Amino acid sequence: MLKSIWIISRRELRAFGRRPIFLVIMFLAPLGFLWLFTSLMQAGLPTKLPAALVDEDDTHVTRQLTRILGTMEETHFVMQTKSFTEARQAMQRGEIYGIFRIPKGTTEAALTQRQPVISFYTNDTYYVAASLLMKDMRKMSEMAGLAMTRATMRAQGFRDDQIMGTLQPIVVESHPLGNPYLNYSVVLSNLIVPGLLMLVVMLTTSYSLGIEWKRGRQKHLYRIGRGNISAIVLGKLLPQTLLYTLIFWLIDLVFYSYLQFPCQCGIPRMMLWGFLAVLSSQGFGLLMFEAFPGQMRMAMSACSLLGVMQFSLAGFSFPVSAMDAPFQWLSNIFPLHHYFLIYVNQCLNGYHISYVWTNVAALVAIFLLPQLFSFRLRNAFLYKEYKA
Amino acid sequence: MIRPSFPILHVWWDEFCELVKDEGILIFVILLPLAYPLLYAMIYNTETQRELPICVVDDCMTARSRDLIRRVDATPEVGVAAHCINMDEAQELMRRRQVFGILRIPREFDMQLWRGEQTVVGLYSDLTSMLYYKVEYLAVINVAQELNRNIKVREHQQHTTAREEQLARWPIRFEEVKMYNPAGGFAAFLIPPVLMLILQQALCLGVGMSMGRSRERFRGLVIPPTRHYKNTLAVVLGKGLVHFLIFMLMGFYMAVCVTRWFGLPQQGHFLDLLGFFVPYLLACTYMAIFWSSFIFRREDCILLFVFMSVPLLFLTGVSWPGASVPPLWKVVGSVFPSTWGANAYVRIQGMGASLGDCRQELMMLWRLAGIYFLLSCFMYLFEIRRAVGRSVLR
Repeated sequence: MLKSIWIISRRELRAFGRRPIFLVIMFLAPLGFLWLFTSLMQAGLPTKLPAALVDEDDTHVTRQLTRILGTMEETHFVMQTKSFTEARQAMQRGEIYGIFRIPKGTTEAALTQRQPVISFYTNDTYYVAASLLMKDMRKMSEMAGLAMTRATMRAQGFRDDQIMGTLQPIVVESHPLGNPYLNYSVVLSNLIVPGLLMLVVMLTTSYSLGIEWKRGRQKHLYRIGRGNISAIVLGKLLPQTLLYTLIFWLIDLVFYSYLQFPCQCGIPRMMLWGFLAVLSSQGFGLLMFEAFPGQMRMAMSACSLLGVMQFSLAGFSFPVSAMDAPFQWLSNIFPLHHYFLIYVNQCLNGYHISYVWTNVAALVAIFLLPQLFSFRLRNAFLYKEYKA
Repeated sequence: MIRPSFPILHVWWDEFCELVKDEGILIFVILLPLAYPLLYAMIYNTETQRELPICVVDDCMTARSRDLIRRVDATPEVGVAAHCINMDEAQELMRRRQVFGILRIPREFDMQLWRGEQTVVGLYSDLTSMLYYKVEYLAVINVAQELNRNIKVREHQQHTTAREEQLARWPIRFEEVKMYNPAGGFAAFLIPPVLMLILQQALCLGVGMSMGRSRERFRGLVIPPTRHYKNTLAVVLGKGLVHFLIFMLMGFYMAVCVTRWFGLPQQGHFLDLLGFFVPYLLACTYMAIFWSSFIFRREDCILLFVFMSVPLLFLTGVSWPGASVPPLWKVVGSVFPSTWGANAYVRIQGMGASLGDCRQELMMLWRLAGIYFLLSCFMYLFEIRRAVGRSVLR
């Protein structure tokens, strides 16, 4: 058996060399995406997002307010105008993500205690930008009111600690665990890049098997493998397993060693999970091929349709817990979902592995599942022909 | 070139018949654009996280701390799923993923408030998803601010009239308006750009498959060896027209049906949408035709195009703010119609912008359509010459 694995593996490696597209997909795509996502989210948290200031009042008080708002982390006033319509049009042109509006008479109303109303508008079709701007503008509006009371209380002779105890008795101290800088790259790049690699693994698994039928070489392969399905599959997929694992490890090294992303469990352990993720993606690809035995195109279509969905269903952008029940269930068939939960448990939080043993087991199960249906593969080798 | 309309129709009809007969292409050209939008809309249909389970460690155990907990529990964003004796117990629940945040009220909470001092409440969020942090923070900060106002006016300042109290509560009022997506939901934000991306990717896959099939069938040529395929312009227009027309239908299915069924933002006027879809789909069609010429096997197009979807979504600047995309990637993104198309569509359909407001995007789409059209012409010219050279085309 070992000998046939060796022969088939060598045959497969030679085939890689003849298919440039394969090499492009194997090496350039994952590494290109590594570069794309890490440089795209280099800032970690987007800052200085463009916004407009509509200061209809234009007094020294409102200018002071806007200066303070201008110093805030996320907000960058690229436009100052007196007309709200103008700002709204800029929003529709996509130049700004938010508008901070101080209506006419704000200062006067504030000084005479007539409760002025200031307003801010965020463009929530750009969700991330809008959320970040909203946070800043809200804080600022809240502070503006407090600042007024503080001025009054200071004039009345209160000490600053008394004033703070009155104005803001309860302070909320937030601790985002595992990712204290709220670096988006840590929760996105870290999963999208491995996710894309896993998608590539699924696709190439069904591609490299299916190409045998396409070239009409499946019977030949079956003969070299002496009819041993396990040997054939191992021989075909082992070179890819090794290559993809190496690429996965390289990605791990870039993330956790070069970019210094938080890694509580140590890099070697992340490499182990990477290896498991590769195996399980190969299992997924193989399973799809067994679902459509010998039909490379259908297997690849299934892999791609499901494989792209795994980015949504894995739950790192929109949490699985917020989805409807059928999708919560469906998310379990995707290796990326399990890899994601293991990553959060191990790498981000540094918890004990026993808390995610089900996810580890699921990855192993997805890897082993094709074994159950290997008879379909045998039938395909013996009886199925390529269908264009 | 004498009767250009006739070969166009011939190519168009040929291509259309081939497409209908080929289930591989049909999957990508019909099933994918019909089913995928529904699937995505259903995934994100819940829009946002509601009643996220968190646990509370109340070291204070007073009426006031219980009041805080009740108020946090009453927010739509989070629900108090457990009361823990100490942080160890709470952390254990977090590790088991039974709760996704811990609210810790310190022992001296009530005492400090009575003394008129500041007290600190700790919120520990699981960052499995950024959304968890957002909803927990919002819920707790809203409650804390409300309580702060109560403490300020009831315990520290004496007011004689209700109006005075109201003024002390809110010296300045503020209004927070979420424009174009009032629920602040995920579906309304993510689905529109995804729809545009589905159109582009489905076109690439469909065209790629038919191109790969031609190459396989006609010994490496992208055109069948008949005389109708001698005219470059006719081939380019005829082939483009098939996909363009099908995807115009798909575009309106997405912009009208899917949008209406799932209650997505629907501000666009029919003519504005039409004025957008024509250049967008033309650009997509000819981009697909041009890039597909590099495909030599049917299945290769799946390998090449599928995994581009996720990076392209990020390059549109809708999911990751465009203002934070580095210049190099802006340039890379600008060669794909989806970058301009997603932005223009989001603006027209989501924000009710007119065609004039999206002038830059539309100009770029027309330019891309022109460039890719010319590139496709050159590609076919080259291919037809090659066919004539090999004298298969007579």
